[in-house]
Amino acid sequence: MNPGYELPLDEAAYSFGFLDEYAKREVRRAILKAVSIPGYQTPYASREMPMGRGFGTGGLQLTLSLIGPGDTLKVIDQGSDDSVNAVNLRHFVELTCPGVDTAERTAEATLIQSRHRIPEAPLTEEQLLVLQVPYPDPLVVVEPSEGKRKIMHGEGDYSRLLTKLYEDIVQFDEITISHRYPTRINGHYVIDPSPIPRYDVPRLHQSRALILFGAGREKRIYAVPPYTVAEPLAFEDVPFRTEDFREEHGNRRACARCGAKDSFLDEIILDGGEKTYQCSDSDYCNQQLAMRSAAVEASA
Amino acid sequence: MPELQTPAADTQGWMPLTQQRVFRQLMNAFAYPGRIEPLCPGADAQGALTRILATLLDGEVSLADLDAQVSPLGWARLEVRRDVPERSNFVLARGDRAPDFQPRLGTLESPEGGATVLVRVGALGRGGELRLSGPGIRGERRMAVTGLDPAWIEARSQWNGAFPMGVDLILVDDRQLAALPRTTRIHTEGAR
Amino acid sequence: MGYVAIKGGGRAIEGSHAAVEALRAAEGEAGTPLSLSTIENQLRLLTSRVLSEGGLYHPRLAALAIKQFQGDTLEAAFALRAYRSTKPRLLETPVQDTSRMRLIRRISSAFKGIPGGQLLGPTYDYALRLMRLDLADESSEAFRAVARRFMQGVPDTALPDSFPKVVDALRAEGLLPPLAPRTQEAFDITREPLVFPVPRSAALATMARAETGSLLAIAYSNMRGYGDVHPTIAELRVGYLPVMLPHPVTGEPVEAGEALITECEVVAMYEGNNSDGPPVFTLGCGACFGHNEVKAISMAILDRALQKGMRDGPRNPSEDPEFVLLHVDGVDSMGFASHYKMPHYVTFQSDMDRLRTTQSKAKASAKGVLA
Repeated sequence: MNPGYELPLDEAAYSFGFLDEYAKREVRRAILKAVSIPGYQTPYASREMPMGRGFGTGGLQLTLSLIGPGDTLKVIDQGSDDSVNAVNLRHFVELTCPGVDTAERTAEATLIQSRHRIPEAPLTEEQLLVLQVPYPDPLVVVEPSEGKRKIMHGEGDYSRLLTKLYEDIVQFDEITISHRYPTRINGHYVIDPSPIPRYDVPRLHQSRALILFGAGREKRIYAVPPYTVAEPLAFEDVPFRTEDFREEHGNRRACARCGAKDSFLDEIILDGGEKTYQCSDSDYCNQQLAMRSAAVEASA
Repeated sequence: MPELQTPAADTQGWMPLTQQRVFRQLMNAFAYPGRIEPLCPGADAQGALTRILATLLDGEVSLADLDAQVSPLGWARLEVRRDVPERSNFVLARGDRAPDFQPRLGTLESPEGGATVLVRVGALGRGGELRLSGPGIRGERRMAVTGLDPAWIEARSQWNGAFPMGVDLILVDDRQLAALPRTTRIHTEGAR
Repeated sequence: MGYVAIKGGGRAIEGSHAAVEALRAAEGEAGTPLSLSTIENQLRLLTSRVLSEGGLYHPRLAALAIKQFQGDTLEAAFALRAYRSTKPRLLETPVQDTSRMRLIRRISSAFKGIPGGQLLGPTYDYALRLMRLDLADESSEAFRAVARRFMQGVPDTALPDSFPKVVDALRAEGLLPPLAPRTQEAFDITREPLVFPVPRSAALATMARAETGSLLAIAYSNMRGYGDVHPTIAELRVGYLPVMLPHPVTGEPVEAGEALITECEVVAMYEGNNSDGPPVFTLGCGACFGHNEVKAISMAILDRALQKGMRDGPRNPSEDPEFVLLHVDGVDSMGFASHYKMPHYVTFQSDMDRLRTTQSKAKASAKGVLA
């Protein structure tokens, strides 16, 4: 955010959390219905935010309607606190929500807004995860009309989606959906869990923390409540599989920076054309690194 | 009978920052059904209800106040539209009287149209226990409540018979709240 | 093995803001900063466009947004919209009577003589698009003389305050259907999401703040043959509309101010299968903030096309409410196009995983076939 940028107080008079109180109240009412009907895409008006549609405006409206003094906010994008969009969103909250703390450590945060990842460290009941959503409806691929999709969702009828997965298997011998993996919540609604990798989908299941999804451009809010069943759509003989980080000999790759072998890895091409792998969750990577150096010191 | 506004009443409920805190408590109550959330300290009998109503209501929604718990000044400040329970987004009722209304249940396509019913009970955390299970509950949770006519449990199970349609309940006593979203299953043990 | 630094996003953003700000002032010592009044007046059509697409009537802030975003209409309209999000809706605007507009221009292509007469007013419609090189180095004196000269030439006979509307005459003659009584409140797109099917008022409100180019492109598809509205402009009017709002205490309507708007009504060929009554023409309506004639005309044509689609089912993209209304908003479409510039490392990693797995399976089964 531009250091010279100030809120034009006399002409604008921005209130705490940027949105006016009526806008927050509407978002809040939608959140309660979303939690009460797990996985249902609750419509809401969705105000324009001062960053682009597609940059997390749905997540941001949730965050601004939830946050208050005493909260500690963590914002991540691609797992990283310091990617440009995360920095931008965090600065915006700092500017409009005086009294709110920000943190990079997952464990310190009460509220986490994220794009494309769920943190590696397990969340607790005291935490709340907000995911940014570009496409809320998993049925769009099989049915263009919203009116018809709403009926299919209401009836819990996902036969056409399953047929689509089956066609994949026939053609490729594998389900080719890489991310945004359709996931059934509490045995009824199937959600688009936002563009998290398949690696993160199991974290939705019986999560201790409430997970909220905000789609700003498409004007929808939905939720996976804590301790709720979340099952990726699959077939008995072709199970759901997460990303494979084994090298050619079948060994799990490790992060080049912290050495972790239990995290989602970014594949990085170095200048010489050589490949290296690194944790996508930068806080997890830092924690692992700190633990390793503490262990080295203790043994020295 | 609680009045929403008397000269001596506390006005915290009308403050945006109070509403933010109350909302988080409401949301936690819905996320973890049956968990009793203490409303902010200092809330008196009127304050507790005012806090919840002021957090949730404005001119965009309608309220049916079945037992006249909202004062004329309260209606004016809430800006909420007054309507019959059959058409209202929110219904406010006393728990010690059996419900005799048919709330909105929403539709198959738009189940969020189902009403939110605020039930004023005697005390949360005392009295007969309800055994609860469903989303938001690991295994089973027990919630004690007094001043809730058993007819409410019966009516609720009828209203919530065809998921995703149904109603969501907020129980409130003088200083605490708890929620029962439509997904919560109740196994009664003689609540009274 | 090396690794990539995980810090630096914040510094990069600061650097990019400094760079774009430097370009805004790249004229350096020779430059003069644009005043908001200069933008509002000399770039009045640009201001009009931003006002209309921003959906907020605040010419001064529109001018500021144009200055701040260096003339990008999408960004400027977006900034106005974001500003609007911070303001509560204090009341619902009652229906405004556009026959009370203080007109600067009104034309009809349906009738030569219309009640009140045609008023060509300010337009480039009949100007030759030849470069006026005298404007390239216009002196302040010459510039200031322009308005003075024009005002001297204005005859004393004042124009009437308002003009009757052409469609009223058509309606009186029975060529247009009588105004249907209002059966429902106007849909407020700033307070309710579009859940289809939507009422006509939601379609009109969405188009009123739509991106001009998007609206024009879809309307043009209808004009060219992906549709059959075949419109005639009954009336196109530009002027200042007195905005009447209920007095906060008495509730009586009072004039709160005026807004420059453009309004267009097109008449289309009649539809024969109206069971109740004789055949009549049909009407399409467009209106938006500011002086934006192409937008108002496009909107009127699409209003007609959408009404047809809502009644008979869409037979062309321009008759399909979901297609038109979900794709004409500049803030939505521009934001989403821009978001592809953000990192997608995680999802792409996921894509590669799937491709590598299916590739290796394909190779394995090819080997199996050969063996």
